[in-house]
Amino acid sequence: MRTTKKMIAGVAAVAALAMGLAGCGSGSDSSSSSSSDEVVKITYMHRLPDSDGMTTVDEIVSQWNKAHPNIQVTATKFSGNASDMIKKLETDVNAGNAPDLAQVGYAELPEVYTKGMLEDVTEYAEQYKDDFASGPYSLMQVDGKTYGLPQDTGPLVYFYDKAAFDELGLTVPTTQEELISEAETAAKSGKYIMSFQADEAGNMLSGLAGASGSWYTIKDDAWVVNTETDGSKAVASVYQTLLDNKAVTTYPRWDPTFDAALQDGTLIGTIGAAWEAPLLMDSIGDSGKGNWAVAQLGDWFDNGGKTGPDGGSGVAVLKGCEHPKEAMEFLDWFNTQVDGLISQGLVVAANTSDAKTPDSWKEYFSGQDIMQEFIKANDNMGDFTYIPGFSAVATAMTNAASKAADGSGTVEQIFTDAQTTSIATLKDYGLSVSE
Amino acid sequence: MSAPTQAMTSTADAVLNRAEPDGAAGAAVPAALDGPKAVTTRRKKKAKRSDAVKRAERTGWAFMAPFVILFAIVFIIPIIWAIKSSFYQQVAVGGGAYGGGQLVNQFVGLQNFQYVITSGDFWAGIGRVLIYTVIQVPIMIIAALALAMLLDSFLVKHVTVFRLSYFLPYAIPGVVASIIWVFLYNGQISPIVKGLAALGINVDFFANNVVLASMANITTWTFTGYNMLIFLASLQAIPHDLYEAARIDGANGFQIAMKIKLPNVRGAALLAMLLSIVGTIQLFNEPQVMQTADPGISSSYTPMMMALNTSRGFLTPKGDGPASAIAIVMAFIAGILAMIYALVERKVNES
Repeated sequence: MRTTKKMIAGVAAVAALAMGLAGCGSGSDSSSSSSSDEVVKITYMHRLPDSDGMTTVDEIVSQWNKAHPNIQVTATKFSGNASDMIKKLETDVNAGNAPDLAQVGYAELPEVYTKGMLEDVTEYAEQYKDDFASGPYSLMQVDGKTYGLPQDTGPLVYFYDKAAFDELGLTVPTTQEELISEAETAAKSGKYIMSFQADEAGNMLSGLAGASGSWYTIKDDAWVVNTETDGSKAVASVYQTLLDNKAVTTYPRWDPTFDAALQDGTLIGTIGAAWEAPLLMDSIGDSGKGNWAVAQLGDWFDNGGKTGPDGGSGVAVLKGCEHPKEAMEFLDWFNTQVDGLISQGLVVAANTSDAKTPDSWKEYFSGQDIMQEFIKANDNMGDFTYIPGFSAVATAMTNAASKAADGSGTVEQIFTDAQTTSIATLKDYGLSVSE
Repeated sequence: MSAPTQAMTSTADAVLNRAEPDGAAGAAVPAALDGPKAVTTRRKKKAKRSDAVKRAERTGWAFMAPFVILFAIVFIIPIIWAIKSSFYQQVAVGGGAYGGGQLVNQFVGLQNFQYVITSGDFWAGIGRVLIYTVIQVPIMIIAALALAMLLDSFLVKHVTVFRLSYFLPYAIPGVVASIIWVFLYNGQISPIVKGLAALGINVDFFANNVVLASMANITTWTFTGYNMLIFLASLQAIPHDLYEAARIDGANGFQIAMKIKLPNVRGAALLAMLLSIVGTIQLFNEPQVMQTADPGISSSYTPMMMALNTSRGFLTPKGDGPASAIAIVMAFIAGILAMIYALVERKVNES
């Protein structure tokens, strides 16, 4: 019996190994990548928008392929929900046919690491360190080891319809009191200067609350969880007041109603991540062209006007990659293609060249150099550490937020649920929590 | 070769022997064997014949192969895999805050099932789909039956056109249908909502107590035509001499419909109900699509959504283990419900 078991295990191991070898970088069978005339094939999966008018990922990659005949890169766009990409990659890594490189959000990186999907590339990453801002670079690290290179950041900023603000005699509020009173003033004329987006609660509210301090810290190899910080309480009280006074829209961010509210001019201001700029331009359409502007968040949430992260991602090297050295070489080049990446709506993490606002954006945002606003917000961003399993926390927050939006729950409950879910999730992953 | 197989072959031989004496096949085989050199002993004959049987068996399996192979790959193997993984949970054992960067499969016995059975969210989801089934299935079946009777009566001309147009929604994939309806329910852009508002009726199709009915409407729209076809086929299979006999006995059209047509489609009704119940218990497309428009539809709104979101890691406990357990418990519940329905139906039929 025992020998049979061993044999089965052996066969399974061989099969797994064979699958692993056949997987990433398939095409180059010989493993001696040092010989110069051999073509190394790298696969890269992203979820950048690739919309009209952008420099597409394929266009950027083809420049690389022309200049590097020995390292040929194939990029694929993942067209499903961003949140489904981890599950896809997880399955691919287990099956041994994952791409070499994949876009991974900073909030997802710890989870992806814990799930055993990443390849340690610390030795290759060191030399590229200076090409990127240090904050995002460290977000691609877990436990001091590096697993990829950062691509963009998602500082939260304030998008608003300047023309509509002028009409109502409003300016961008600088304090909490101003925010609430202006929201109420606008609401009286059927306009809204703030949006409460239940479906984005996990990303946005955690970012806003995190501006004043992280929820998660590590002490003696165990997680200390506190999602009910003063920052969280401030966010809860502001949104609760706005909801109670009906001075905020409750349309979900990714529902057509949100776009419709922007188009018909009822929603004239909203907090959003920097990468939302081209998406909002799309949503608002030509009617708002030249009217909109970008501003920093005021001191709205008791944190001295600091902002927080919402989204932002890097590109990680996945487990089973055969040519991590070449993959990283390409990755450093790709993530420093500043102009191309900006056209995709990214606030790049690279600091190799100045980030310029594309002309079409300038035209849309009344001539404003909005990239400078984004960079300013980026420099003013609080650090936020994410836990493995944060997607479960975000889901719980979304559920609670939708109750707050229709009045059957409170905003405070969102953060209470985040606390219980965080602890339950960490334990479910088998990680230690200090309570 | 094992004993039972041998027994089976000899039974088959016996059958062949009996069939041979004056059949065409019987004539062909001796002709081949009665050559000048052939010494046809009984033993040899038997060997020849079992070869033929084997060949027949092989041919049979070859014809079956496309089905059997696909069935095994997409059905049997995944089910076995799901049952196996329902006894495991993935945990990090590397220690530290991040668990060492590797998850291992840990055997947890019945823990995943215990979680499912004691989960309030799971039973709330079951409750929702049961309410949904109890309301939606009868409405849809009655509507389908009514449409089928109408088309089968001689009141309607151009039956083909109607049949096709009622069936058309079924040709639209469920997800696409749901997306279309999400737009039609949308308070700001829907012509339906705006039209009703113009008449002074304000409806919010996404309100907490309405949203289930909104989903039921999508399902009904999609599947009524399909069920109508089942009924129509069974109506048209009723022998027309029954109608003649009824007419001679003085029955009018309505009486024929009630007394002859209706009792004769009982079998079709059982089939349609059964398929619908099993389908609605697995409610997934509609709530999953409507979730983008209404975050109030939670990740565990129906058991099937709960299974998916558990496997994606959006719910805790996460992963394929608990997700498989949810799916298996669901399959049991659906099976039991279908059995209860079939039993009740039989009892009703007997009485």
